Amino acid sequence: MPRKYHALKVPKVRQDWSKWNLYNLSRIKTPNASKLSFFQQKWAAKSLARAYHNPYVREGQWTRMFDRRLPAVVPMNFQYLARNDGSEQASGRGMGLEEEDAHEMGRSEPGRRKLGMGMAKKSTPYMHMAFYPLERRLDTAIFRAMFASSSKQARQFVTHGWVKVNGKKMTYPGYLLNPGDMFSVEPERVLFATGVQKPVQQKRGAKKAAAEGEEAEEGQEEVNEESTEEPSEQTEVKGSDSKEAESESAPNEADAVPGPEEALKALKKLRNRASHIMEGSKAELTGRRRQELRSISKTVRATMTRFGRRDSKDPEGQSVEELTALLNDIVSKIPKEHLPATEKTSKSEEGSAPKSSNPQAQDPEHEDEYKAAKDAQLLHQALQRARENPYDPSKPYRTPWMPRSYMSAFAFIPRYLEVNQNICSAVYLRHPVARPGIAEVPTPLSAETMGLAFNWYLRRR
Amino acid sequence: MPPRLQPQRLPQPSACQCLRSRPQAVAEPHVFSRSFHKSPAALERNKEAGKAPVRRKTLLRRDMDAWLAGPGFRFRRSSPGSTNYLSAYDKEGNMRRWPEREEATQRARETEDAREAEVVKQEEAEGVDEAERASRAAVRAEARAKRIAEARIPPKERLSDLYPFPLNQAFKSEAVLSEELREELYRQVVVRKMDLQGVSAAYGVDMRRVAAVIRLKTIEKQWIEEGKQLAAPYNEAVLAMLPTTPLRQDGSNMVAHESINDLPVHPATRQQLFYPTSESRNFTREDAAKAFSPSLLPADKRIPHPQLVQLERWNAEDVSRTERLNRFAEIEEKEHAAAVEKERKQKEWKARTQRTVQGRRWDFKFQDISAENVGKDGRSSKGVGHRYGMPHTERKRGEVKIPTSVE
Repeated sequence: MPRKYHALKVPKVRQDWSKWNLYNLSRIKTPNASKLSFFQQKWAAKSLARAYHNPYVREGQWTRMFDRRLPAVVPMNFQYLARNDGSEQASGRGMGLEEEDAHEMGRSEPGRRKLGMGMAKKSTPYMHMAFYPLERRLDTAIFRAMFASSSKQARQFVTHGWVKVNGKKMTYPGYLLNPGDMFSVEPERVLFATGVQKPVQQKRGAKKAAAEGEEAEEGQEEVNEESTEEPSEQTEVKGSDSKEAESESAPNEADAVPGPEEALKALKKLRNRASHIMEGSKAELTGRRRQELRSISKTVRATMTRFGRRDSKDPEGQSVEELTALLNDIVSKIPKEHLPATEKTSKSEEGSAPKSSNPQAQDPEHEDEYKAAKDAQLLHQALQRARENPYDPSKPYRTPWMPRSYMSAFAFIPRYLEVNQNICSAVYLRHPVARPGIAEVPTPLSAETMGLAFNWYLRRR
Repeated sequence: MPPRLQPQRLPQPSACQCLRSRPQAVAEPHVFSRSFHKSPAALERNKEAGKAPVRRKTLLRRDMDAWLAGPGFRFRRSSPGSTNYLSAYDKEGNMRRWPEREEATQRARETEDAREAEVVKQEEAEGVDEAERASRAAVRAEARAKRIAEARIPPKERLSDLYPFPLNQAFKSEAVLSEELREELYRQVVVRKMDLQGVSAAYGVDMRRVAAVIRLKTIEKQWIEEGKQLAAPYNEAVLAMLPTTPLRQDGSNMVAHESINDLPVHPATRQQLFYPTSESRNFTREDAAKAFSPSLLPADKRIPHPQLVQLERWNAEDVSRTERLNRFAEIEEKEHAAAVEKERKQKEWKARTQRTVQGRRWDFKFQDISAENVGKDGRSSKGVGHRYGMPHTERKRGEVKIPTSVE
C-alpha cells in the first residue's frame, strides 16, 4: 500500500478519477534514461507501472501472476482469405509482390489495402500488455466498467458485499474472472461512486429526513414493504412536478393504505414531501408554484386535523373514502387531457415556446387554455426527468444525480468488457489482447516504459 | 572571462513543465524564510512573534491549483455531445480540433444577449405586468442557455482526440454499442430468433458480445417488469461521455463495431521458423500451419466466422445468390445433423457403460473407469476416488481459497 497516493513531487498515475490524478496524468513524462543504468531504468519503469497497475496486489503475488507470453490476435479479412490461399505471400522474390507488381497485376492501391495486405504495417504493441493478468481481477474489472471511481473503491465494494458474480455474492477482490462471467454492482453504490458528492445542506437534510422517517416508522411493521417504499421513492420529486407526482402516487397510496392510521401516515408523508420540495429547490421555484405547493400542504394539514377528530369516533371506512376524495381533488387540479403529452411533441413545443408565447398570450380567449397546456407539458417533462433522477435527501450522494467532476477525462470502457449501465452489470467477454496498433490493457505509460517494466519481471534481470 | 553562472543559481524549473498555465517569465514572489511548522498553532505563534508571513501552499500545490483553474477546467464537466479526453486539448486547454471554440461561444452569448435586450424593450413598450414578465424571462433564459450550449458542441472527434493517456498511443478509447444497437441486437436474436453467428456477422459485433448484450438486456427487461429502478441517469451520462457505435437503419452503410474475425496468435506460431521447400511448390496457408505444428489448423478454419470465407469464395466463383444460400443452408443442415448424431452416440455410450441400479431412495450408477485418470500426481479430480485416502492440501498455510469459477 503506497504511503503517498497522489504525490505531487514524484507524480504517480493511479487507477483513480480524482483531480490530483488528472493533474499528474497531464504532466507525467517518460523518465529520462540518459543518466541511468539499465537496472535503474528498469526499476524506475517498474515502479511507475506498478503504481498504476494495482499496488494493492503484493509484489510477490504479482510476480507469480506475471506471464511473459502475451496474448494477441490478428484481425483477418474474410474476403482476402477467400481470394488468396496464402501462396501469394511467397510470390515474387519470395516475400510477396511489391507495390508496382501489384499495380501491374491490376490491383490498385486502395484495393490492395482493402484486401488486408497492408495490415502487417502496424506493429502489435505487446509491451503494453505486460500487466494483462491483473485486468482479470474482479476489482480492476469493476473499475474498468466505470462502476467505481477508483480500483480501491471497487475493492471496497467487493469486500463489503455489494458485488455479485453470476448472481452470487463474491467478496474476494482477487477473484480472477473467467470469460463469460457476469459481474454486477449494486446500482445505489454505483451512483454513489460516480455521482457528485453531497453538499453540506443536503447532508443535513438527509439527517432530518432520516429522523422523520424513524418517527413515522414507529409501529409500522405490519404495513407491507411496497407501501412504505413507494412514497419514499417519490419523496424526491422535485420542483414544479411535485403536484403531479403526488397525484401519481395517490392511487397507489390509496390502494395500499388500509386503515386510518396508515392513511394519516401517508398524509404526513405527503406534507413532509411538499415541505422538502420547498426547502430543496427554493431557487428554482417560481412564486406561483410555491403558492400551489403551500396550498397543497395546507389542505393536507386541514384534512389531517379532520382525520384526527374523526378518528376517535368513526370507523376506518369513512377515513379511507375521505383520503381518496382528497387525492382525487389534487389530481383534478391538473388539466387531464394534456397529461399524456408524448416526448416528441413536448420537445418540439419547448423549442418553439419562447417565440410563440407572445402572439398567443395576447389572445385573451386562448390564453388560459394555452397556459394550462404548456404547464401540463412542462410538468410532464419535468416529471419524466424527476422520476428517473429525483431529488432525494436520503441518498448518500447529491440528488438529482450528476456525474462527478473530472469523470469524462477518464471515461472509457475497454473492449473485453460488455457493460449495461442501466442495471450496473457487465460481462467479462474474454481476456484482453493486443492487435496491430492497439493494446487493450489501459495503461498511461509509454511503450518504452512498459517495455522496461516487462523486462524487470522477466526471470533474469 | 566573465564569472560563470553556477547551475544551482539558475532558477529551477518546477515539476510542472508540460501543461503549465502560469507564464514562465513571471517570477513568483519569493519568500526567504522557510516555514517548517504549518499547524494553525504554529501559524498563530508566528503571527504573534511578528515573523514573516508563512506560505501556506507549496509551489507544487499552487501549480496544481493553477492548472486545475486553467487548462484543467475543461475536464471538470463533460463536454456535451463529445468525448473529453486529455489528448483532445493542447497545453493551454484549447480544443485541438476546434481552437475557436471559446470565441464562438462568446459570440453566441453576445447575440443572445442582444436578442434578449430587444425582447425586454418590446415588452416594456407593450406594458406587460411585472409577474408575467418575470415568468416569461425565466422561460427565455432556459431556452437561451440551451442555445448557447448547442453553440458549444464541437465537431466530431478525430482519431487523435480519443487517447485518454497522452503518452500511450497504443490505447484508444474504443466505441461502445449505443442503446439502439443493443436493443436491435436483442430484437434480432430474441424476437426474430436469428442465430448468433448471423447477427454477429450482419452487425459487425463479436459473437460473445452479442450473447452478452442479450444476457444483460434480458435482465434489464426483467427489472423493468419487476418495477425495479434502473440507473437511468448514470446510463445516460456515461454513454454521453463515450464514443458510441450508432445503429444505421438502412443496412447499406452499416459500420462494423469491431473486427469479428480475430485470429488468436497460436503459441506454436510465436517462433520464427525456417522451413526449406521447393520453389515451385504452391505453399499455402494450410502447409504453413502444418509446418508450425502438425495439429495446427489453417487461419480459414480458426477464425470465428469461417462460413463468411466460404460464402465469399462462392461469390468469387460467380455462384448466384440463391444458389449460395442454398448451399450454405445445406452445409448448416449437415453440421446440425452431425451434432445430433454425436449427442446420440454419447448417450448410447453412456447407456452401454453405465449401469443403473434402482435403490429405495436413490439410483446407484455404476460406470466403467480407467485407473489412468488419476493423472501423474494421483490427485487429478478426474480420477476415481480422488477424495479418499489422499491428504488434502487445503488446510495448509498459504493455500489460496479464492474460488476459481462461479457457476
